[in-house]
Amino acid sequence: MKFAPFVFANLRRNPLRTLLTASAILLAVLLVCILLTMPAGLDGFFERVTNNTRISVHNKAGIVYQMPYSFTRKVRQLDGVAAAISQSWFGGAFEEEGRVSFPNFAVEAEHVGSVYPDYNVPQQQLEDFKRYRDGMIVGQATMKKYGWKIGDRVTLRSTVYPLNLDLRVVGEIPNSTPVAWINREYLDQALKSAGRGGLGVTGVIWARVSDPNRVNEIMRAIDEMSRNSESETATETEKSFFSSFFGSLQGFARIILLVTGLVALCIVFIAANTASMGVRERAPEIAVLKAIGFSRRVIFGTILAEAVLLSSVAGGLGVLVALGLTRMLHQASTWNQQLGPLASFMLTPAVLIQGLFLALFVGMLAGIAPSFGAARKPVVQALHEVF
Amino acid sequence: MIHVEHISRSYQRGVEEVHALVNVSLEIASGHFVAFMGPSGSGKSTLLNIVAGIDRPTEGWVTVAGRHLNDLDEDETAQWRARHVGLIFQFFNLIPVLSARENVALPLLLTHLDRGERRRRAETALRVVGLSERADHSPKTLSGGEQQRVAIARAIVTDPDLIVADEPTGDLDARNAEEILALLRRLTDDFGKTIVMVTHDPRALRFVDDALHLDKGVLLEGAAAERAAEAIRIAAGGGLTTGAEGAP
Repeated sequence: MKFAPFVFANLRRNPLRTLLTASAILLAVLLVCILLTMPAGLDGFFERVTNNTRISVHNKAGIVYQMPYSFTRKVRQLDGVAAAISQSWFGGAFEEEGRVSFPNFAVEAEHVGSVYPDYNVPQQQLEDFKRYRDGMIVGQATMKKYGWKIGDRVTLRSTVYPLNLDLRVVGEIPNSTPVAWINREYLDQALKSAGRGGLGVTGVIWARVSDPNRVNEIMRAIDEMSRNSESETATETEKSFFSSFFGSLQGFARIILLVTGLVALCIVFIAANTASMGVRERAPEIAVLKAIGFSRRVIFGTILAEAVLLSSVAGGLGVLVALGLTRMLHQASTWNQQLGPLASFMLTPAVLIQGLFLALFVGMLAGIAPSFGAARKPVVQALHEVF
Repeated sequence: MIHVEHISRSYQRGVEEVHALVNVSLEIASGHFVAFMGPSGSGKSTLLNIVAGIDRPTEGWVTVAGRHLNDLDEDETAQWRARHVGLIFQFFNLIPVLSARENVALPLLLTHLDRGERRRRAETALRVVGLSERADHSPKTLSGGEQQRVAIARAIVTDPDLIVADEPTGDLDARNAEEILALLRRLTDDFGKTIVMVTHDPRALRFVDDALHLDKGVLLEGAAAERAAEAIRIAAGGGLTTGAEGAP
């Protein structure tokens, strides 16, 4: 501890350089901490929005391929399936925007409540959805985005089928989802009126299993049921479905983590270079310190302590800023539904400790080579080189 | 105090072997102020480094204050220097980010003294060199002479047995050089310090007890030493007397 003032004084030697190095370390640790929240954040997001008893059934060839609508009934009749619903992409674009700005599907109104009980759509609104063929239930995010309220009339132009549907908002899904459901029967009749032969297919079938312990068994049974048919199915849990759906996002997260690692490595090199420059500039002083009796251990320790102290303080600040930022996003997500998924990106104690260790590691790695170089040189050689 | 027995120091410079010192023997009594003099490359700095425990001879033995320096490894000599040797350099070599007091207290960091005692001793050393009122100044605000005084205070703060000075007046003007030489003389007279100094400065002859002359790594004796001393006196314009009796 008695060398601490000496170490602090050396850090004040070139304030601009110290500040710039500290800023680089701070930003690196901040970046790493934020990005380390991604895998856990994505997982948390999927956990939050999915249900462990809901499974999806889609065409084995891919989600864009359809399945016969009749398969929905077969799934519904399977032992252990509490409810099932057909879901077809309508691709409706809000007339004022001209593009699909929120996901909207045609579903069977009578099965919404039984497949999605966890969505907590009020019973009266579910009843209205069944009663009005042109009814539409809309997620809270989309309701807020457009300022819609129950009773409003909206026209959606399908980007899949050549028709427009006039719809009436009859319910609201009280969570942050942007999804909207329209009545499948309404779409079916509109297609028939347009001479398109009705909606005989479905994109995805969502089924709710009565017993969580039987999920795997029922998924296997559904796929077995479609084996050797024209539309073989692939069944998976809701979490797995969304994870696959956002699979590219997870790949992106992995790439970002890799880049983050490289950035951290670059910061190590920058910090090591700065420490080396500092040691080179102070070569005469270090030679004098050795001459007056500073041992190799003390020289090594004080120079390393400088690098570790700088890195730890900067890294600690980086962690604090990351903590502040994620908390701010979490707070923001409570009043801005668009930021909903960001609520899952929280700095856990594990990430916090990883950030601090990274800072310590950067300091150690950056300081060890110049400290060792300065310490190991014999005093007479050090004096000869500088005087 | 200092016993040097038949030491030689050689080192490789590329393919060439350089003999910096050849079979040098000398004795310096405790409380004496001695100068090593000679032309560049004569081996005086090498001899000073060996006496200070900074360098070690290729052959021969060195004993300082009863300690055989040949027996010590790098860390042990560092420890020994911290306790027994005060060093003064030509270019002062103060730490620019520390105040004068902190610079002086630097060697005390290697002791077990507490902070208050380190501060007290640093202030005492600064008082001895006449710089009490400049204790809080940073080196860059001090003149060359003042910086060298701080360096001297740093050299004496641990109360060492031996003070070694390498060209302590080499970077100073005439007035400051005289003041520094007088201060070193006073350290011998008032505090009984043994001082060994390398210098080219003929003025030093008025302040030292003895001047040892080296040439091409050999310690000159007898007539050769006399001729070297005479050459220095002539170079200085004559009239200088060798020995402490000439000191103010």
